[in-house]
Amino acid sequence: MFKYMKYEIRGTYKYILGVLALVLVLTTALYYYISRPANQTSGLGQLFVALSVLILFGTTLATFLYIVGSFRKELYEDTGYLTFTLPLTGNQIVGSKLVVASLWFMVLAVVIGIYNIILVSIFAPIEVSISELFSSLFHIISIRYILFIIVYSIFSIVNMLVVVYFSMAISRITFRNKRIGGLWFIIFLILNAVLAYGLAYVSQAFPYYIDLDTLKIGTMDTLNRFHMEFNDSSISVSANASGLITNIAAIIYSIVETVGLFLATGYLIDRKIDL
Amino acid sequence: MKNIVEIKNLTKKYSNKKALDNINLNIEEGKVVGILGPNGSGKTTLIKILVGLLRQTSGEVLIDGQRIGVYTKGVVSYLPDRNFLYKWMRIEDAMNLYKDFYSDFAEEKFNDILAFMNLDKSMKIDSLSKGMHEKLNLSLVLSRNAKLYILDEPIAGVDPVAREQILDAIINNYNDKSSMIITTHLVRDMESILDEVVFLKEGKIVLQGNAEELREEKGKQIDDIYKEVFGE
Repeated sequence: MFKYMKYEIRGTYKYILGVLALVLVLTTALYYYISRPANQTSGLGQLFVALSVLILFGTTLATFLYIVGSFRKELYEDTGYLTFTLPLTGNQIVGSKLVVASLWFMVLAVVIGIYNIILVSIFAPIEVSISELFSSLFHIISIRYILFIIVYSIFSIVNMLVVVYFSMAISRITFRNKRIGGLWFIIFLILNAVLAYGLAYVSQAFPYYIDLDTLKIGTMDTLNRFHMEFNDSSISVSANASGLITNIAAIIYSIVETVGLFLATGYLIDRKIDL
Repeated sequence: MKNIVEIKNLTKKYSNKKALDNINLNIEEGKVVGILGPNGSGKTTLIKILVGLLRQTSGEVLIDGQRIGVYTKGVVSYLPDRNFLYKWMRIEDAMNLYKDFYSDFAEEKFNDILAFMNLDKSMKIDSLSKGMHEKLNLSLVLSRNAKLYILDEPIAGVDPVAREQILDAIINNYNDKSSMIITTHLVRDMESILDEVVFLKEGKIVLQGNAEELREEKGKQIDDIYKEVFGE
């Protein structure tokens, strides 16, 4: 699997580096232009801003399609004759694609995020240093909360990719014709709607939550530390819910959904897809 | 002698059309078998089932006693009838990929065949002509010491000089302990290397046997028998 990941990375890294370079240059130019005094802006400059925003949006969409398209290419193009005759299981092929695609999304997000922080500190200098800013941030938000956000973000990327891959595999089995192979996106939308309905349903059917801050389990009423007190004529309100209260059934549902769709995609590659 | 390929009652349907209709075929170790038939006779469908790119509708297919899967993919060296390598690669990258995935890949043999084919490792895949692609693909496939080689139309669409080079490469580098399946409709060029022939027509085997015995029995070359069977 790691061998295959190596070739997957080598096949895509140039595009990712190109996208990063384009995004970083455009973002820098945008920060530079926007930070100028209002009397120094011009019509041409505003056109540049508009075009840059459009290019950034287009690049984001193209990059998403490029990264997920690596799997679709195997299903519809001649390279599938190589990939699907390598001594690998369907799960290993999907797993490799999944890891590399997730890696690229994370690299893009982290690099662009950090670069934006740097640009803010350069073009919109504030009195507080970055280290002070982060240390005050950690006072407000716990490390556990930040970890939760990181794990949740990675899981969301993996979940989305698995749904995309499964939709593509189903589309390939249903529609052999390449021209209508783009129907994977419609399958993806429908599947997302069905899965979201399922998530809402199990969350309501099993209204038990876990507070990941204190690891206490209970209903929303017992866990939510939103507190009201009536003292004589005044009302004292304290709200210290940590934001880490999560529905247990929803967590299990999401994990089962992701693992299930991953295994199902591997199975479709091994047993159903005809190239 | 042990069968490297065992096919029992193999049928493949596309919607209502039968691409393969109840095929029964055993291929012994060490034999070179030609699957002969015009376009659309089911040759490529049969090959794709053997290499795991297609799933049969019914019947059983075993390679080296195993169902088609990771093991069989590891012992079969397959040459598709198209350019299957990743376009970003140079020839050296393609060689490294084969080295990484197939423990039976022999780098020295690859270097020799590549030199014979007048190809250089630094060449980019997307800059190769059709003939060069065919030569490179064959170089990779023949450089493995596989149990079974499957070549799908190895000389179709290449000029006569390249065709001769490809045939020489097959003859010179074929390991006689292995088996080989070659599909072709260019029978005249290929018949000298075939031990057994299978004539496939509209998804059915209409004639099969030892190439030498068929020549003696019919008093004709395999190419002439092909014309007779397929009415050319």
